[in-house]
Amino acid sequence: MSSAQEINASLKSLIQEFEEILDQASSLQEVEEARVAFLGRKGRLAGIMSKLPGLDPHDRPQAGRTANQVKSELNRLLEDKKKVLETKSRSVQDTGFDPSLPGRIPDVGSLHPVTRVVQDICNIFVGLGFDIVTGPEVETDFYNFEALNLPPGHPARDMQDTLYITESLVLRTHTSPLQIRTMEKRSPPLAAIAPGKVYRRDSDLTHTPMFHQIEGFLVDTRVSMADLRGTLTAFAQRIFDPGVKIRFRPSFFPFTEPSAEVDISCVMCQGRGRVHDGTACRVCKETGWVEVLGCGMIDPEVFLQVGYDPEEYTGFAFGLGVERVAMLKYGINDLRMFFENDLKFLNQFIQAGHR
Amino acid sequence: MLLSLSWLREFVPYDGQVDELAHRLTMVGLEVEEIVRPFSHLSSLVVGRVMEKKPHPEADNLSLCTVDVGGSECLSIVCGAPNVARGQHVAVALEGAELPGGQVIRRTRIRGEDSQGMICSEAELELGQDAAWIMVLENDSEPGASLIRALNLEEYVLNIGVTPNRPDCLSVFGLAREVSAIFGLPLQKPSLNLQEDGFTDFSSEVQVVIDDPAGCPLYQARLISGCTVKPSPGWMRYRLLAAGVRPINNIVDVTNYIMLELGHPLHAFDRRLLEGAKIRVARAEEGYRFTPLDNQERGLNARDLLIWDENKPIALAGVMGGANTEINNESTEVLLECAVFDPLSIRQTARRLGLHSESSFRFERGVDQLGAPFSLDRAAQLMGELGSGRVARGVARSEPRPYSPVQVMFRRSRANSLLALDVDREYCSRLFSSLGCQVGEEEGDGFKVTVPSYRPDLSREVDLIEEIGRIYGLDRTPEHLPRVQKSLHQEEQNQEYEFCSRIKAWAAGLGLQEVINYSFVGMADLDLLGLPQEGRVRVFNPLSEDQDVMRLHLIPGLLYALRQNLGKGNTRLRLFETARSFKEDKNLETGVRENNRLALLLYGSRYRMHWPYTEADADFYDLKGLVEHLLQVFADDPGKFAEHNEHPYLNPCASCSIQGRHLGFLGRVRREIAVTCKARKDIWFADLDLDALHVVFSSVQPRFQPLPRYPVVKRDMTLAAPLNLGYASVLEIVHSARVPILEDAALVDIYYPQDRQEKKLTLRLTYRHPERTLQDREVDAEQQRLADLLQKKLPVGFP
Ligand SMILES: [Zn+2]
Repeated sequence: MSSAQEINASLKSLIQEFEEILDQASSLQEVEEARVAFLGRKGRLAGIMSKLPGLDPHDRPQAGRTANQVKSELNRLLEDKKKVLETKSRSVQDTGFDPSLPGRIPDVGSLHPVTRVVQDICNIFVGLGFDIVTGPEVETDFYNFEALNLPPGHPARDMQDTLYITESLVLRTHTSPLQIRTMEKRSPPLAAIAPGKVYRRDSDLTHTPMFHQIEGFLVDTRVSMADLRGTLTAFAQRIFDPGVKIRFRPSFFPFTEPSAEVDISCVMCQGRGRVHDGTACRVCKETGWVEVLGCGMIDPEVFLQVGYDPEEYTGFAFGLGVERVAMLKYGINDLRMFFENDLKFLNQFIQAGHR
Repeated sequence: MLLSLSWLREFVPYDGQVDELAHRLTMVGLEVEEIVRPFSHLSSLVVGRVMEKKPHPEADNLSLCTVDVGGSECLSIVCGAPNVARGQHVAVALEGAELPGGQVIRRTRIRGEDSQGMICSEAELELGQDAAWIMVLENDSEPGASLIRALNLEEYVLNIGVTPNRPDCLSVFGLAREVSAIFGLPLQKPSLNLQEDGFTDFSSEVQVVIDDPAGCPLYQARLISGCTVKPSPGWMRYRLLAAGVRPINNIVDVTNYIMLELGHPLHAFDRRLLEGAKIRVARAEEGYRFTPLDNQERGLNARDLLIWDENKPIALAGVMGGANTEINNESTEVLLECAVFDPLSIRQTARRLGLHSESSFRFERGVDQLGAPFSLDRAAQLMGELGSGRVARGVARSEPRPYSPVQVMFRRSRANSLLALDVDREYCSRLFSSLGCQVGEEEGDGFKVTVPSYRPDLSREVDLIEEIGRIYGLDRTPEHLPRVQKSLHQEEQNQEYEFCSRIKAWAAGLGLQEVINYSFVGMADLDLLGLPQEGRVRVFNPLSEDQDVMRLHLIPGLLYALRQNLGKGNTRLRLFETARSFKEDKNLETGVRENNRLALLLYGSRYRMHWPYTEADADFYDLKGLVEHLLQVFADDPGKFAEHNEHPYLNPCASCSIQGRHLGFLGRVRREIAVTCKARKDIWFADLDLDALHVVFSSVQPRFQPLPRYPVVKRDMTLAAPLNLGYASVLEIVHSARVPILEDAALVDIYYPQDRQEKKLTLRLTYRHPERTLQDREVDAEQQRLADLLQKKLPVGFP
């Protein structure tokens, strides 16, 4: 009759022996043999377990627990060894497997940076409750100028060099005609943005004859400058970063009064006017500010044009240049690249947008 | 508008930093675009004193000068000017200095004599026109001192972008008014101390007749006689130069000086070249010809306003004087004009003739009628002083439309609600007064404001409210997000943007890259593509020939993108563009039909050029596959494709339609067009109507069908068909048979035997019964029926 100590000792030594045998094993076949020898029905563990009933009843429960612990430990060692061997055998058998070779990557497409920015901006304003509207690019003189308080002969017409189709038909010089078209079609309260292409008779380093604008406007009773400022501040912080500062400079547009131009703190130099190495920031010309849009409270004349009562309704409007925002957002330094469509340019915008 | 700081300080005692001034002006809407130092290019020049002057031994017209420039030793400089003399203070360019024209001064030998610098003339320094004589300075400057400091030219000039509504800020004094209001500084009016001369009143000598009172509400003129025409003194020339105006002579310079100072353009005529005793303001006649100061004859029309003497026109009113009465070096009698003209009329003439002057610029925006007499008097006084002339007594004038003051009602509640402010009466009233307005008695929560004559932009309450915001600082007003309200019943929604965004997402997801091209191309581009002349939308005033017509089809832009990329070595392209095409349509409001289209372009290798992909170029089925994918995704419909032989630029070409709507064409760009893009491989191109697809898209909505419960039976059928038999006709027969248990028919193989006489098509037919499991013989029977029908209707066999 064996003592409890002897059984305990032989159980413990079992683990070590099993480990040594597994270490030697180089194939699943050998591992299987080891399993039969140790864990099989007639294996070593079974042999020891068969002696348990002969123990002092006091010692039996303790020995039984130890035997079970040893059994699960042996099983764990067995599974680990199998995994190692299986992994090894795969790469040994299929010698062609090489995960570092390229896969069949489907083509990666991209949206033009202008589209990305338009979508980012539209998403921001849709989130604020604005609808998206569109309109014709060939526009009548009435919608492009007259209804916006720019009668023929108004000196402010010189602010935009116009491409004409006929005497009374132009390529729209801004997206502002959508203010009129939308107000004519709907009645207040209304809030909308209008993205689209616009055209000017201007072509040099900083101007292309076609570019993109987004017009935004909101009409209701009691709309104030604070609504406009809040909307644009929220916009600037979401499109650039939450730390961006915004500044309202009084300006002049015939269809808004008061009018303002909006600058944001330069995103290249964080408004310091100088970049990291201390050289002058080219983006803001050392001022720390970059102009991004024009805005104002809708002029009463515009309301009269669409038959709204200017005493009852007020509203704001703004217009921003998409390329300008894209240049700031992505650090693009040459406006003309937008329309050259060089793949080396487009390929820089394959990453999915954040919004 | 260029504002010289020293000039400004004559009227307002601003003694702060220039940067602070620029910032505050910018923040009240007078954007300072740049701060310049107009004479900084002269900063390397110094004052020299001529200590000795000897004739050059080898050249009669040269002198050898010893010049003290403040150093321990004097320089020897060879000088060719006849006026150089001992004791003079002169402007010296030292060795290494760069003159405005770009010339760098070197130590040289001139006819054997050493010259260690150069004594400069005004012309060489671009400070005047005198090139032959050297510039002689006042004797109080120290040799070696900086020239610009000695001349008092070390100053700042602000380049201010004045918006078109602020003609009052197109002058130094006008800007001084703003500075005075912003900083609360006292404003000093320019001095006036006019000494009139003579017994007869000039108004009895010359009569002013205005035929067109709307075109000219006020005309006034003075006579300055006995003048000597000569260059203006330095201070005036430097001021004009700093303001970007070229000095000419003392008479013309005064008119420009007063225009810059007070904002009112003036014109000086040579009185002796005027005929008769009458000045008339009247329109031209159609076909009339006139030669202004630039000596280029212009054709006029009946809307152009002219100034006439008794016999002839002498000026294009407000735009430019006539060459026939111009001040010249012999002029002594000056007739000085200070008038007010209708802005619109001036603008029309200036624009039509392309004659934009500082004068027309100001008249177009509106000048101050009430201030005109002061401007005339101050100019006359200055002209008398600088020209050593006498200002004749009296003014010849006519004012058929006197200025009538503008009164505007202002309500504080309105201002506070629009600006989201809470400003009190006291604040508003003080602010308006500081801007030159007169504030009336309290009425309700506001008061009447009489605006100054120089502020034509203040005619409505909202204009006054803007002034409150402007001076208070728009940047200091509160901000919050608006509560966006909408009608419960939303009016017609515009889905164009949303649909295009979906299309773009689809295309990018399929590995296409978006391009954006100009909406205009050249007529030649459309001609090359063989597109019709009719329907083209021409740009009336294009920037260039290659941008003179709107895109009738999208293709020219994409071919341009292809050509650009091939030129840069990008030889595999998968591009898309969504944009509008433009076609004339007289029935529409704008006369142009704008159609949203989707263009697809495939060029070069079908796959990425790396293992494990194999090399093969994209072909028609790559392109068609994209289009079919589009139709499935957006319309759940395979669409219909048919060969099309008359396409102007695609061959082979297929038309594509869906649910009876034509969508567009797809195919290979004709080779003769492809070569113009330097393309060596096939260009596969599709142009599809997104508006039409949008209509279909909007009408389709998934409808749930119960899922089938019984298994399918699949049978293949191979048929031999002649090469020219279209697959579509096979499918059509299969569908026309209306086999109720036929669920699907798919082409699984095409085999072309060696002899190429026919092709073998293998169809996989899928049968299913909705309510029970099919038996083999039922399927056999239907399969046979289909085969018989095909054989009967088409030239096919069953091998
Ligand atoms: Zn910067």
